[in-house]
Order: sequence, then C-alpha cells, then structure tokens
Amino acid sequence: MDISLIFAQFLSGLSRGMMLFLIASGLSLIFGVMNILNFAHASFWLVGAYFCYTFWYLMQDFGFGMWVSIPLAALSLAAIGWFIEVVLIRRVYNRDLPEQLLLTYGLILVIGDLIKLTWGVEDKLITRPPLVARPVFFFGMPFDSYFIFVILVGFTVAVGLWWFLKKTRYGHIVRAAVFSREMVSALGIPIPRIYTGVFALGLFIAGLAGAVQAPVGSITLGMDMAVVVQAFCVVVIGGFGSLLGTFVGSIIVGEVYAFSILFWPQGALVLIFIVTAFILIVRPWGLFGTPMRA
Amino acid sequence: MKKFKVMVIVCSFLLIGGLATIDSSLAAEPYHLGVDLAITGTGALYCKDGVDAIKLAVGEINAQGGFLGKHPIKVFIRDTHTKPDVAVREAKDLILRDKVRCVLGTYSSACAVAIKPVCQEYKVLHIPAVSNSENITKVNFSPYTYQVVPNSYMQAKAVVLGVAELAKKKGWKNYVTIASDYEWGRSTQQNTVKLLKQFAPEVKLKKEFWPRLGETQYTSYITAIMAQKPDFVIGSVASKDNVAWMKQAKAYGFFEKIPYPGSLISISELIIQAKTLTRGLVGLCRAPFFAHLDVPMMANFVKNFKAKYNRYPSDWAVMEYDAVYALKQGIEKAGSIDTEKVRVALKGTTIDTCRGRLFFRCIDNMLSCSSYIGVVADDPKYPFPIYHDVVEVKGPDSWRPEAEIVAARAAKK
Repeated sequence: MDISLIFAQFLSGLSRGMMLFLIASGLSLIFGVMNILNFAHASFWLVGAYFCYTFWYLMQDFGFGMWVSIPLAALSLAAIGWFIEVVLIRRVYNRDLPEQLLLTYGLILVIGDLIKLTWGVEDKLITRPPLVARPVFFFGMPFDSYFIFVILVGFTVAVGLWWFLKKTRYGHIVRAAVFSREMVSALGIPIPRIYTGVFALGLFIAGLAGAVQAPVGSITLGMDMAVVVQAFCVVVIGGFGSLLGTFVGSIIVGEVYAFSILFWPQGALVLIFIVTAFILIVRPWGLFGTPMRA
Repeated sequence: MKKFKVMVIVCSFLLIGGLATIDSSLAAEPYHLGVDLAITGTGALYCKDGVDAIKLAVGEINAQGGFLGKHPIKVFIRDTHTKPDVAVREAKDLILRDKVRCVLGTYSSACAVAIKPVCQEYKVLHIPAVSNSENITKVNFSPYTYQVVPNSYMQAKAVVLGVAELAKKKGWKNYVTIASDYEWGRSTQQNTVKLLKQFAPEVKLKKEFWPRLGETQYTSYITAIMAQKPDFVIGSVASKDNVAWMKQAKAYGFFEKIPYPGSLISISELIIQAKTLTRGLVGLCRAPFFAHLDVPMMANFVKNFKAKYNRYPSDWAVMEYDAVYALKQGIEKAGSIDTEKVRVALKGTTIDTCRGRLFFRCIDNMLSCSSYIGVVADDPKYPFPIYHDVVEVKGPDSWRPEAEIVAARAAKK
C-alpha cells in the first residue's frame, strides 16, 4: 500500500472529521455553556443547507454565488438562533433534562414541517463553481478540491472558537458562566444576554456546517437524522462541552471511518460505535470532558 | 280493500325508493386507493414524481366516472419517511382507517417487504412500482402483491449481459462493487455478482463497499475504490445517495479513470444532474419515457404530465402511472372492485402499459417489463441528457427462471 493512498485516505478522513466538527462544535458549545442538550441541532444544520440553496439560487448566475451563500446562510441561522433562544429556550433553563429534550425534539418536528412548507419535498442541488468542481492531486492521487475548502473551514472555526473563548473578554465571561452562573451574575453581567449570544453562535456554526454540506450532494429532508448520531458520537468521545474534545473526537471518528473503509469496509460504522462505547466505559466524561459534567 | 291498496302503493314506493338508494349507493361507492410512498427521506427524489403520476392517472379515470365508470377513486397519500416501521404503520392506518382496497408504493424495498404481509393479512392489493428487490415477489409470496417494476434480479441480469459483453471486448479481469447497505442494494449487488460469475467467469470480484443508506460523504469510498485499481466498478446506489455519490465521484475524475457501467441513472438523475453528469456513462434505468414514445399510452402520458406539471416524467412517474392503470384493467376484467375478484383477474393477465403490452407472470405476479441500458448523451430535443443507443432487455429474457423461484421458496420453508 503506497503512501499516496494513505495520504488520500487521511485527507478523506480529515474532511469527514471537519464536517462532523462543524456540526458537533455548536452542539457541544451550547451544552457546555447553557447545559441545554439541543436535540434539534442537526435540524438547524439542515435549515442552514436549505438557506444556502436559496441564496445560491438567487445568485446562481454569478460566479461568487456559492461563496456568498455560505456565510449568508450561517448569519441567517444566527438570527434564528437569537429568536428561538429568546422565545423558547430561555423558558426551560431551570427545567429538568427530559423537558428540555421534549422541547428540542418538538423543534425537530416543527422544523421538518416548516422545511416541507417552505422548500417542498424535492431534492435541491447546488452546482459548485469550477474552482471546486475538479480534483486536486497529492502524490498523484486525486482529491475533491471542495473538501480542501471543507477542511479549511473546519480549522478556521476551531481556531476562531479557541481564540474567542480564550482571548476575548466575552469569551472569558462565557467560560466563567460554565462554572458558576451565579458568580457571573453577581458581577453584574447579564446571563440571559450571554446565553442568547452563545445559542446564536451555536446556530451560526450549525448554519455554516449545513451551508458547507449543501454543495456536497443533494439537500433533502431527513439528512439531519443521518448525521445526528455521528455528531453525538463525536461529543461523547471528546467530552460534552469541550471544544478541544470535539475537535479531537471529530478527527478520530473521521479517520476511523476512512481507514476502516480501506481495510474493513463492512465494519466502518460499527467501529465508530465500538470506539464510542469503549470511551463511555473507560472515561464516561469523554477524552477532554470533566467528571463534573459526566 | 282501500286500506290494502294504499299499503301496497306505499310499500311499492318504499321498495322502489329503497332499491334506488341501494343502487345509487353502489354506484357512488368510491374506490379508496392508498399510496404509501417516501414523500420525505432518502426516497423523496423519486416519489414526488410517483405521487404526481398517480394523481394524474386518478384524475383521468375519475373524469370518466371512476373505475368501471361508477366508482370514483379517492386517494389517500401517506409518507413512509423511507422507514419500514413507518411504512407499516401508515399501511395499517390506510387499511383500517381509510378502508383502502389497494396500497400503491413503495420506495425502499425494505418498506415494500415490510408492508407486504400487512396487505396480505388484511387481503388488500399491494402494487410496488418503485422498490424492486426481487424478494418482494420471490419468497414469502403474497397473492395480493403485483410488481410493475423490473426487479433487482432482472436489472442485475440486464447489466450483467451488457457488462459481460464489454468485459470480453475490453479484456476486463476484475471489479469492485459499491452498493447502499439495505435490502435493495444488497439484493442487487448479490444478484449482479452471482450472474457475473455465471456469464463472465473470468472476471473476479476484488472488493465490496457498503455505504449506509443516507450516506452524505463518499470521499473515503472513492479513494478506497481507486486504490483497488479495478478494471470497472458496479454501483447499486439510488436516489439522493446516488446524486451525492455521482457528484463527488465526478469531482475526483472517477468516471474518466474507471469504467462505471450499468449503474442506476434514472431519468430523475438525468434531469437533476443535467449540467454535471458525465456524458458517455453507460447507465441503467427502469422506465425511460423516451424509449416508448411510439406507444400511444406513453405519448399521451408524457404530453399530459408535461402539461400538468411542466416537466418530463421520470421512470418512477411512468411506473406509478402504470400501476394505477394495471389496477384499472384488473377491475375491468373482474367487472367488480371486489379485491378478491380483482386479485384473481390480474393473475397472469396481459395489460396495456406505457411500456407496451405486458403480462403478469403467474408464479410471482411479476410484470414482464423491460430494463434499459444506454449511453448518457445530450439530445437537442430535451433540456437534459438522455440515453442513446438504448438496449431494451425484455422481462422474459431477464427474469429469474421459475425453477429457481420454486427452489428458493422451498428452501425458505
């Protein structure tokens, strides 16, 4: 087995991992800061893909259509996130986990029907611009150039989130709120506003992930259900609420999947669940989570 | 005496009135037709066309008074979400609540296999017109199930006949398969591999790849397949998965490097990927309208479908339309909407379809419909590529021999 193939498979796993990171990081962020397990996160991801399609459709005659549609979709989701946090999520902070799950599960059904009403049930397809419609070659092996873009977006979001949480004042407040809402509140910092911002940021990333996914294949109802399980595997492996954990978990899942396809194609998905189960047994709070959260 | 006369007159009026009421209620009895299709989920791409075609057929028949000119059709449409458990739940609901006499469907063979025993239990006709695993009619046979789509064996054999020919010409020695990991994908892949062994024994299978149903990213599969350096690849991936697979494979230059003959490229894919689909691919489809425009029923259907929906019909539309008209002809032959009579009438019968005059084979109620292989190429008549050099492999030339079906059923027992 030559190095070019191993590298191509590594890149392939990395791109899958980055796609998962984009989905899971928002989920993990919202849980880490707000203690809300947003079951509907993947549905928002799907809405992001549909928004991207709509913006692209309006600008499809222009070469930049897809590039502009992706951030626009993410911003639209941030606005939706802000609205939903204020109207719905805020009301369940002090409720038990089952009630939070019920609310976010209800959102899945509502979003599914709203998508049907808005975009119909037909598949939507975005045509990629020529720049990312052809392969690039590494050591003679082709690789879909669009996935280079996916990897870059994944790393940018990871670095951006790290910078935001570690280097900015707002990020410090957010991290402090994870450990003690009361103390942060006692310092005169309005916690509800922080939560609204975090939820909007989480959905911004979900929208970005959906928009980045949109040109990969077709956009259709039910796509969200296919990714939600793997996204949860990622946050379980990495540790709920840990950005670094989510990042590492995504890469583990992506690479395990990619290389098992190479060596044991029948067991690709099984291996991911075996890894998840193993980590749950050995370290229930995940690789980079804290026992407190377990 | 006068009292008696009055009573006779009153009774006569009541009797006549009663009979008239019974007669008119019979005449007005609507035919409840259930549709259990994947309006959402992986199969949505194919099923929207199917539903539209059913509505068109029902509209045409109702314009003539309904079945037998007196039973207007009332359609009940349900969404399976492409999930077998939901398909079963909806089929039961259609039967028990909406009192349907026939369930048309289904996308995903897993859904079709799941609702087959439900229809049999409640003695309701079941006509799969999209899903095509041969297990729908081969084993656990239900006399209530009639299949109007070329099944996975027929399609596999059609591909194999074409591929065996190409393998000889080009000296191909090995291949890999990629198939969606569910009932249809497994069934089609297994049939293809088995038949290739029979018709081209010199060609060896190198590796199998099984992406899950609903897979969105195929990059790892593409590089892994390319690493195998196969002479050709056989694919059994359908609907939106197929769109994602082909779109990503194309971005790798996959189709320029490795021949990919005989994969499912239905009219839906030809339309949706009109701009991006690689020309020159050898594809397989189930009911391309352009192959039968010489059949008046097809020509009318295409004209009416296009007029109503402003687009060309896909394979799925053609087959669902044929399913409604198969039912109509069964009812006409039976002279009744009674399910038992219709079921018996359909047995072995010859019907007019958009694809010509075809018959149901008695042993498995499989329609003698063809599979179609052709080369994807542009055509000035259509805003999307169609198949050129179409090879039509007839049903009786491609379906599984009856002896094998008997053996399979015996083994199952």
